[in-house]
Amino acid sequence: MLTNARIFFVGGLLSYRSLFDWLSPWILVPSLLVSPICQVLLFAYIGRGAGVGNDEFYVIGNALSYAAIPCLFAMGATIEGERWGQTLGIVLATPARRIPLFLGRSLPVIVNGWFVAIVGILAGVVLLHTSIPAHSWPALLVAVAVASTSCTGLGLAMGAVTLRVRQGAVFGNVLFCVLLVFSGVNVSLDQLPTWMARIGSWLPLSHAIEAARGIADGESLVEVGGLLLDELGIAVLYAVLGLVLLRFFEDESRRRATLDRM
Amino acid sequence: MRGVLRQLWVCYRIQLKVISSDWFDGVLAVFFPLMFATAALLVYRVNGDPAAMQYVGLGAAIMGMWTCQGVIASSLLSRERWAGTLELVVATPVSMTRVLVPTTLALSTVGLYCVVATYLWERWVFGLELQVLSWPLFVVAVLLTALTLATFGFFLSVTAVRYRVSWSLGAALEYPGWLLCGFVVPLAILPAWTHPLSWAIPTTWGMAAVRDAASGASPWSNLALCAAVGIGYAAVAAWLGKVLVESARRHASLSLR
Amino acid sequence: MEATDLRRTFRRSSGLLRRTHQEVEAVRGVSFHLDKGELFGLLGPNGAGKTTTIKMLITLLLPTAGSATVAGFDVVRDPREVRRRIGYVFGGDRGLYERLNARDNLRYFGELYGVAPAVQRRRIPELLEMVGLTGREKEKVEGYSRGMRQRLHIARGLLHDPEVVFLDEPSIGIDPVGARELRETVARLVAVGKTVLLTTHYMFEADELCDRIAVIRSGEIVAEGTPAQLKQAVSGGRVLEVETYGAPESVVEGIRGLAGVRSVAVDDRGQQQVLLVQCEPGAQLTQPVLALLGDVRVGRVALREPTLEDAYIELVTSP
Repeated sequence: MLTNARIFFVGGLLSYRSLFDWLSPWILVPSLLVSPICQVLLFAYIGRGAGVGNDEFYVIGNALSYAAIPCLFAMGATIEGERWGQTLGIVLATPARRIPLFLGRSLPVIVNGWFVAIVGILAGVVLLHTSIPAHSWPALLVAVAVASTSCTGLGLAMGAVTLRVRQGAVFGNVLFCVLLVFSGVNVSLDQLPTWMARIGSWLPLSHAIEAARGIADGESLVEVGGLLLDELGIAVLYAVLGLVLLRFFEDESRRRATLDRM
Repeated sequence: MRGVLRQLWVCYRIQLKVISSDWFDGVLAVFFPLMFATAALLVYRVNGDPAAMQYVGLGAAIMGMWTCQGVIASSLLSRERWAGTLELVVATPVSMTRVLVPTTLALSTVGLYCVVATYLWERWVFGLELQVLSWPLFVVAVLLTALTLATFGFFLSVTAVRYRVSWSLGAALEYPGWLLCGFVVPLAILPAWTHPLSWAIPTTWGMAAVRDAASGASPWSNLALCAAVGIGYAAVAAWLGKVLVESARRHASLSLR
Repeated sequence: MEATDLRRTFRRSSGLLRRTHQEVEAVRGVSFHLDKGELFGLLGPNGAGKTTTIKMLITLLLPTAGSATVAGFDVVRDPREVRRRIGYVFGGDRGLYERLNARDNLRYFGELYGVAPAVQRRRIPELLEMVGLTGREKEKVEGYSRGMRQRLHIARGLLHDPEVVFLDEPSIGIDPVGARELRETVARLVAVGKTVLLTTHYMFEADELCDRIAVIRSGEIVAEGTPAQLKQAVSGGRVLEVETYGAPESVVEGIRGLAGVRSVAVDDRGQQQVLLVQCEPGAQLTQPVLALLGDVRVGRVALREPTLEDAYIELVTSP
């Protein structure tokens, strides 16, 4: 039990630090501080230009959407990076249990995504004078955490896939774009074409974004609880998918030595 | 002179081969801006005003060019550094300008491909048919926008000789460029202090010229400004290239990865 | 080519908020000269300053002090003239456009070196033939083995028919057969009158190829001469190799004390130790050494000429 807990916390943090090579200020500041703010501004102005929606709508949508960047890329990197470093085989040769091993890596990633989304929201408050009532903040922080959890779930699944198809960065970008278009980031699901909305409701973010918008409009945590539970369900869905894939690839690689092939 | 033109032409063709031979990169260079264009179109579509759709449709088509140049150009030399070819290129007797200009022109060519792809996407997926009153002027405006964007990319890429993290700064330029060049947001609604920034980018003028040509107005004054700003960047970049290569020799920053 | 008192210091910075700067002297006063058509070897351990020296000579780095001329031009004042006349090849598998084939890689650099199209058309196939890549020139470099990449590198370095060729550890990571072919290629370069500066870790390579060698240690040249001179200057005498089983330290000390012994190195190989006794010229040490060993079990005993490696190790490890 204690071993598993250590693998979860200590191992997770260590591999996050060693495999996510963005942790230099030169990369961190532009990509995780400047860019989310710019995305929020871009769409808020697009909304103003088009005369559709209000600033708050875009601030929440895009701040949460950008949380997907660290979630997808960092989670992907902690798995794919091992392959580049040829260390995955070494890790898999240890007796450590796989579930705490890989889930442990997601915890720092979730924190990272949460932080990025909050930066985006604060930027909206400061730069666009979006007002969010003070009593809504605690519930909003929870909703953001749920959003970044489900994105990290998707990141885990993506990381597993990149073990076999490489090009993790491309995948991360593609998924990010898919979320941007389908998850109700800039156009709420009910205003999207039906087929797009249907896809969106099975993706991370869409429920959390809707919940967060509700919270910012004064709804309580209980009122949006159903949406957040749906979002958590999606998080679990993708995380389980990722773990199953990892398991499958591990077994398969033992049979056919596919893991260390570059 | 003929020798120089030949060198530029051969390097352009070979660099185009390098860029276009990676399927993933190619798709991404088009896909990423295309998805943002889609998001913008979806927002504008909510009201469905045809004039607004024409506005955003034209802007979205040019948006992709910015990504190809602004983002990829600044990571260009980082890639050369990573592949170990940067030192070899600097060790040749030609100046950085003659190495970089054909490369950024190759990127602009990919950018033109982006324009066509977005145009078709708008037509097929959104059923949006752009109204272009003068096709010849429209094409001239798009080409000049691509050309001046290449000089701007040249300016960005040259800074990477000395600073190896400039790729991340380049990536961070993507959104500001989309905001400042007036692709999908009318410049008039941006805060006044950002206007000088917009004017300093040749693409802003290029975009305005493209809109002029589409609406039947004369694009020539905007094209002249676009060319002037573009030439300005080329001159600064050529000078900067010299200085930064010297500085790289002094500080041993060429081979660092 | 002439280098006079070349020096280069680097500033290393560490820490994020409180940056500390440290000056590191990578090369401290290196001087040598090469005659036209000579093959000069620069030997030294990792981090001794070989690559830094080369980079100053090929104009990629500015010297902090000192001066150098290559093919008659100053590396600081006339970098372009120097660049036109030199070829640079480094070891390892970087430095090529992975997504291009061999021919396009060569054509690209051919343009950058201003090689006329007609000359390119003749020279590129020639070079591909010379490095044994004919028939594979249309494949992307991604799929090349290390040896093939290295050979392509050499072809690239020779495209513009340079007067001086710099080879920086060209044989690193190449298998023995490839390394031998490489040595043949290098020998051919000298045969057609090129001046070559070669750095390497492999002693037999240097011994076989180089007309003269300089050994560089911690940024300074500690010895220079022909391979034969180096062997003589360092060891002078021969090397006595004795296989022993369980020779106690006291006996080794005793051997060190013998007249005519320069140094004794003990190479532990499990139960067996090999004593390497460097002898003064003319000293007859076999009998005294065996006498000192007494009833310690002794295996093979051999007296041999010093190799360049013996000389090199003594040079770079002596205090």
